[in-house]
Amino acid sequence: MDNIRRQFIKGGTALVAATSLYLLHDAGAQEELPQTKKRYALLHDETKCIGCNACAEACRLTNQVPQEVARLRIERTGPYGEFPDQYYRFTRVSCQHCEEAPCVNVCPTGAANIDRSTGIVSVNSWKCVGCQYCIAACPYHIRFINPVTHAADKCDFCKETNLREGKQPACVMACPTGALMFGDLEDPHSKIVAALNSQPVYRAKEDLGTHPKLFRIRAKAGEVSL
Amino acid sequence: MSAFHSEYLVWHWPIAFYLFLAGVSAGAMFFAVLLKHLCVKDSPHLSGYIRAACLIAPVTVMAGLGILVTDLTKPLEFWKILVFYNPTSVMSVGVMILLVYTVLMFMWIALVMRPYIDEWSEMHLPWLQKITQWLSNIEPTLTGILVILSLSLGAYTGFLLSALPGYPMLNNPVLPILFLLSGLSSGAASSLLGGVLLHGNPDSREVKFIHKIEIPLILVEIVVIFTFFMGLVLTGGQSKIAAMNALGFGFWGAVFWFGILVIGLSVPLAMNLFMTATAKRRWAYVAATASCSLLGVLMLRHFILYTGQLTIA
Ligand code: SF4
Ligand code: SF4
Ligand code: SF4
Repeated sequence: MDNIRRQFIKGGTALVAATSLYLLHDAGAQEELPQTKKRYALLHDETKCIGCNACAEACRLTNQVPQEVARLRIERTGPYGEFPDQYYRFTRVSCQHCEEAPCVNVCPTGAANIDRSTGIVSVNSWKCVGCQYCIAACPYHIRFINPVTHAADKCDFCKETNLREGKQPACVMACPTGALMFGDLEDPHSKIVAALNSQPVYRAKEDLGTHPKLFRIRAKAGEVSL
Repeated sequence: MSAFHSEYLVWHWPIAFYLFLAGVSAGAMFFAVLLKHLCVKDSPHLSGYIRAACLIAPVTVMAGLGILVTDLTKPLEFWKILVFYNPTSVMSVGVMILLVYTVLMFMWIALVMRPYIDEWSEMHLPWLQKITQWLSNIEPTLTGILVILSLSLGAYTGFLLSALPGYPMLNNPVLPILFLLSGLSSGAASSLLGGVLLHGNPDSREVKFIHKIEIPLILVEIVVIFTFFMGLVLTGGQSKIAAMNALGFGFWGAVFWFGILVIGLSVPLAMNLFMTATAKRRWAYVAATASCSLLGVLMLRHFILYTGQLTIA
């Protein structure tokens, strides 16, 4: 019996030791990650946004997003203020390209991934099995299953379309008021870094520790009057 | 029914059944090991309750996996989960645990049923006895790992949900403990129910043994549920709103107060205490108590899954 107990404990200990080794190994691997070369971010100036939806339409066209879903929406709230000084607020609803992305952490196959050289979060639709874990994990609720590919889908800063052709993302190019600015946070001379340094910006749900890279300039009262 | 729809609902009832079935399997296996080593000792293959557990554990884990696969948007590409691993993903690690667990579970069941296997293979496949002999050489190691894996599987069903930062009620460190405990009690209940259905004696030492564990288990479960909701309320903000939305009036509030607390926990607790005090264990008592317990755990899984996705951070 004593022998049996010893073996029993030995088996258990071996398993625990193997697990901890495995976890340690993983922790070590993360420290050795190469520095990201670029860190793309987007700034949505809500004081300039007029809610025209040109960005959302351009996104749909450029990335061939089916009608029943969307990578980018402009959410309208309001009207705020007293008549006749009423105005709406427009909020961009799309992927925030989190640096600590919950969607990437939970994906069982690694289909949801952060591109090391650009910091862009995207989905490898071939690897995706459609478990929808990432959709549940994203605190911004912007992921969806693409009805054509059956894979999880979302904004990827036009990584496969415009960026590849050396252009700015479709939404940025389409915006008639210049409310959107796209750029590299690692480049100290970029326009976006200058813009972020020169005025107060906010990010959604920062308290969750996701480090989102979609920055916003808050709309002030009376910007868009009716 | 609006109780089953909400704006940010991603995971539906199949996931609740998956979590339930995985918990039942883990619990049944855990109690099968306990029964064999601490209660029955010799000829475990003749015990109706161990037999029931050995039947329930594989059937439920397979059914659960089946549900998980059919619920994917690309069920035929399930193999990609097995080929590609992501060590930070609870689901990926869980699938790994599930696979090893399933293999070891079958090895352990083969050991319990060894007398039957040996008898049959003597006539048909003599070399099979070499394998059963080898299995019984490694039995203590096998059992040790299996126990740890079954507990991990039970806790994993909770970690799966607690890894979701967008839902304050799910993103809760107590959830894995709650799911582990309720999974264990559903495993105990299903073994009892299966045991009496397989003509096990309702007044046997196995039933007494399980009931003796079930009473403290249910008490701890009640404390953990209390801790779970107190934690949410004391955290305040969206967590408090989530708790209030879940427990308030309405469909899910009724499920919680009446279904989970009364039918799932209080009734089985009272029946267990009654049976222990009077030493009367009839077929109907044991079966009814176990059914209440099982129903309660099934409701708990649905309740947590649906109300958890009701309120967002
Ligand atoms: S916003 Fe959602 S989908 Fe985008 S990186 Fe963050 S968690 Fe992932
Ligand atoms: S749905 Fe696809 S991308 Fe999302 S977690 Fe599952 S496998 Fe990964
Ligand atoms: S295109 Fe520009 S102005 Fe129009 S909704 Fe989009 S961000 Fe706002």
